Amino acid sequence: MKQKIGLVLGVALVMLWCLLPIAWILSLSFKSQDAVSNGTDPGFLPLDSFTGWDNYTAVWDDEQFRRSILNSLGISLIATLLSVILATLAAYAIARLEFRGKKFVLTVALAIAMFPVVSLVSPLFDLWRTIGLYDTWPGLIIPYMSFTLPLAIWTLSAFFREIPWEMEQAAQVDGATSWQAFRKVIVPLAAPGVFTAAILTFFFAWNDFVFGITLTSTENARPIPAALSFFVGPDPFQRPAGLLAAAAVIATIPIVVIVLLFQRKIVAGLTSGAVKG
Amino acid sequence: MSSTYVATPEVDAGKTPPAGSDRSRAEGRLAAKLVAPAVIVMLVVTAFPILRALWLSFYSYSLTAPDDREFVGLSNYITALTDSLFWRDIGVTVLYMLVTVAIELVIGFIFAMVMHRVIFARGVIRTSILIPYGIITVVSGFAWQFAFTYQNGFVNGWLPFIDEQFNWFGDTTPAVIAIMVSEIWKTTPFMSLLLLAGLAQVSEDMIEAAKVDGATWWQRLWKVILPNMRAAIMVAVLFRALDAYRIFDNIYVMTAGAVGTESISFLTYRQTIEQFQLGMGSALAVLLFLSVLLVAFLIVKLFRVDLAQARGE
Amino acid sequence: MSRTSARPARRARARRRVALAAAAVLGGTLLAACSEEGKPVLTWYINPDGVEVLDVIAERCSTDRYDIETELLPTGATDQRIQLARRLAAEDDTTDLMNLDPVFVPEFANAGWLEEMPDDVVTEDTLDGIAETVRWDDRIYAIPLWANTQVLWYRKSLAKEAGLDMSRPVTWDQVIDAASSVPGATVGVQANKYEAYVVWINALVQGAGGEIISDAEAGKDASVDIDSEAGRAAAAVIEKLAKSRAAQSDLSVSNEGTSLPAMFAGPGEFMTNWTFVYKNYAPSPENGITEEQYEDLGWARYPRTVPDMESRPPVGGIDVGVGAFSKHRDFAVEAAQCITDTDSQVALAVDAGLMPATATAYEAPELAEAYPPDLLELFRESVDSGGPRPKSAYYATISSAIQSVWHSPDSVDESTPKESADFLAEVLEGKALL
Repeated sequence: MKQKIGLVLGVALVMLWCLLPIAWILSLSFKSQDAVSNGTDPGFLPLDSFTGWDNYTAVWDDEQFRRSILNSLGISLIATLLSVILATLAAYAIARLEFRGKKFVLTVALAIAMFPVVSLVSPLFDLWRTIGLYDTWPGLIIPYMSFTLPLAIWTLSAFFREIPWEMEQAAQVDGATSWQAFRKVIVPLAAPGVFTAAILTFFFAWNDFVFGITLTSTENARPIPAALSFFVGPDPFQRPAGLLAAAAVIATIPIVVIVLLFQRKIVAGLTSGAVKG
Repeated sequence: MSSTYVATPEVDAGKTPPAGSDRSRAEGRLAAKLVAPAVIVMLVVTAFPILRALWLSFYSYSLTAPDDREFVGLSNYITALTDSLFWRDIGVTVLYMLVTVAIELVIGFIFAMVMHRVIFARGVIRTSILIPYGIITVVSGFAWQFAFTYQNGFVNGWLPFIDEQFNWFGDTTPAVIAIMVSEIWKTTPFMSLLLLAGLAQVSEDMIEAAKVDGATWWQRLWKVILPNMRAAIMVAVLFRALDAYRIFDNIYVMTAGAVGTESISFLTYRQTIEQFQLGMGSALAVLLFLSVLLVAFLIVKLFRVDLAQARGE
Repeated sequence: MSRTSARPARRARARRRVALAAAAVLGGTLLAACSEEGKPVLTWYINPDGVEVLDVIAERCSTDRYDIETELLPTGATDQRIQLARRLAAEDDTTDLMNLDPVFVPEFANAGWLEEMPDDVVTEDTLDGIAETVRWDDRIYAIPLWANTQVLWYRKSLAKEAGLDMSRPVTWDQVIDAASSVPGATVGVQANKYEAYVVWINALVQGAGGEIISDAEAGKDASVDIDSEAGRAAAAVIEKLAKSRAAQSDLSVSNEGTSLPAMFAGPGEFMTNWTFVYKNYAPSPENGITEEQYEDLGWARYPRTVPDMESRPPVGGIDVGVGAFSKHRDFAVEAAQCITDTDSQVALAVDAGLMPATATAYEAPELAEAYPPDLLELFRESVDSGGPRPKSAYYATISSAIQSVWHSPDSVDESTPKESADFLAEVLEGKALL
């Protein structure tokens, strides 16, 4: 009994810790800008300063913000797709084939996952401006791919190891080549793993900030996190808290939707030997 | 901001065909074809830029005065390494790393225990934990920054021992604490999910056996559960620590590096992106890269020592 | 630098551009190059100040040979500079027109990022203080669009109570003493660790006949002059205010907005601030300011640093430059002249409180209607006799170096000028990290 009470308490604490800032930013998004900048309604909830959907409509009317949502969705989805395709090929080789250089691939992946992103942005900017990728979608898709590949490769090789090896052998005995065995047997079995890797990769790309602020300069390619940090409000001397909160809530919706739909898969992916943070 | 992953790759899993056979050669060729695209993409964006940074770091070079560019040898490195600002920022960065990882370890473990034991409302718990994990770090930074400001935040009102007018962003210590809170909130779920994986590997039989032997809950935790999770804990610590060492987003959003909250990543960013000092910025980028390697090396060393101790017990 | 207004007027245009954007996104790259008929589109990067007026100007200055589209930059001057500089460093051919803070002009011109302008864009008609900001290396690289300056805003009743005669030029000493003599009265300045703090320091140093650096055009080899009598006079003013009870409690984080509410709270304040203040205090239900209070608002020339020398009010504003890599440089130069014409300057002054850069625009009847004659005269004279900040390709470095030593204002004393001179020299030589 005592243990049960402890558990209920624990669950409540976990939820409070995780959801309190979310509730706060939601509450902020319903407060009027005046009340926030003048500090007239300092409490947690929007009591006298409730403005309904005003902040949301104002944010949605902002062309730069809409463009950044479009940029983020497009860039993250393309980067995820390409990254997962390349990672699937590589992870299959790592999990199932014997070849020299396997250690090298894993080391490269490990090194890149540890790489301090900030140390790359200046030379990358120089390279991008020379070849014309600066402030374009591919200019962000390529670095996102590089930095999500390690994660995707490791997640996928962990999944691939779970796949019964004999089935591929059986297929090969039936006359299939390695390639056919891969395509006909492994791909369907690996699909759930690929899917999980895709979600984790998407989270990474959606979250990126350093590349977003350094490799773009206009709404051509600027993703949401960078757009949020440059958000222009009506008062140049103060951050437009209410508008920013509304924009932040909109930017969080895709994350919440993915989490609600696929939470089991994400946890499985994170705890199955490959983890991302 | 950045990705870390942990894995226990069983590189040698699967069968090993006899070397030199046709089959082995065919496999090697296939593997090369499968692996090459990923390796190329990973190297394009990292190897070239870091080599270029190394080259530029020997120059005095400002983007706005390209004609003044000159070779200065190791001068940028000497300036950086003898500058008190560099060492202050290294110190602040290490502080961020140590404090956030330590606190995340404790909170993350409690979360993992709750998730491991709980039999009801699993979906709800999973969802709650995954939201901070998936949320944009910049959003977390904004949420906490607004929460801490005295004009419109709730933190001062909720903490009984804090003055209503206390300005968290006016001085180094409180500002660093505010940044740490955002960092910890955002990344604890990652830590707890890693630890959950470790918890799942601790055999229930051993815990039962300890219980039968009359071990208290506390003893079971320290003598049975934690030692058996050691590998998972160390791996979690390694990757979170490397991530925390590169802290950038929260600082940018919450203080923009003011009042001494700047990390080494932020210093590098400022030199290259804000000051356009590509030479000095590149030298700092190289130093940042080397210091990450050093941190990784130190933790891995520690990790091995611990494994050896674990085996010795 | 000054107030921004809401931007509903952008919406219609925004919709048009989203359609354009959506089409271009398919290619991965958005080129603001050509519309359907092959008519060039000039992209004009604007800072978020008077956006509605600028949109109207863009519309008006579009011709049957080209269209002008505005593109909004971030709020802070630092962010604006980074965004523009990175595009220009990337040799972007769609950066046609841009609004430049005066201090960006030398940096950008020196890097070869700005197209040279015809000589006749700056004439006798252009006010001296702002005309100076568009010259680099004996050439002209931008056209002034508006000229901003600071004056001393104060409560008439407060000056009276303190016994300060505002009809004659006042010094900082007098202003601080006057405010200290009335309980609750304060002096408002900008002393956060940001660009406007350098604006203040620069005005103080110049007001005592000195310079932060001289021979600034020599770049890294400029001579650092802040360690001088003038530098110490400037430090003395800051030290005096920081230690006086007239200092506002948020002095070390104060900006153009933080000192505004103090004007009509309690006995009021003396405040050095930009021209936008006048429109900002116009009585309205939102700001709660009454006609009676508005009547009590006074203005005077920027205070002197030393009693026997004219003050040098700060000069700000916006210059319009043309990108050196623009595909349509000729069109852009032509458009820049239209954008900065008298009609535009008058519209900006009347509708957005952004004051003109030419004498002709100052004499327009619309301005006389919108502003009291003595205030107009004060603004104009301030810009004309104002002092620019150091013109250097390393301005950003100089500014940050000054900020890092002179901030916080509480720490400023007579040793500060020497300290900052040493640090600035080391930074310029690449011997210290900034």
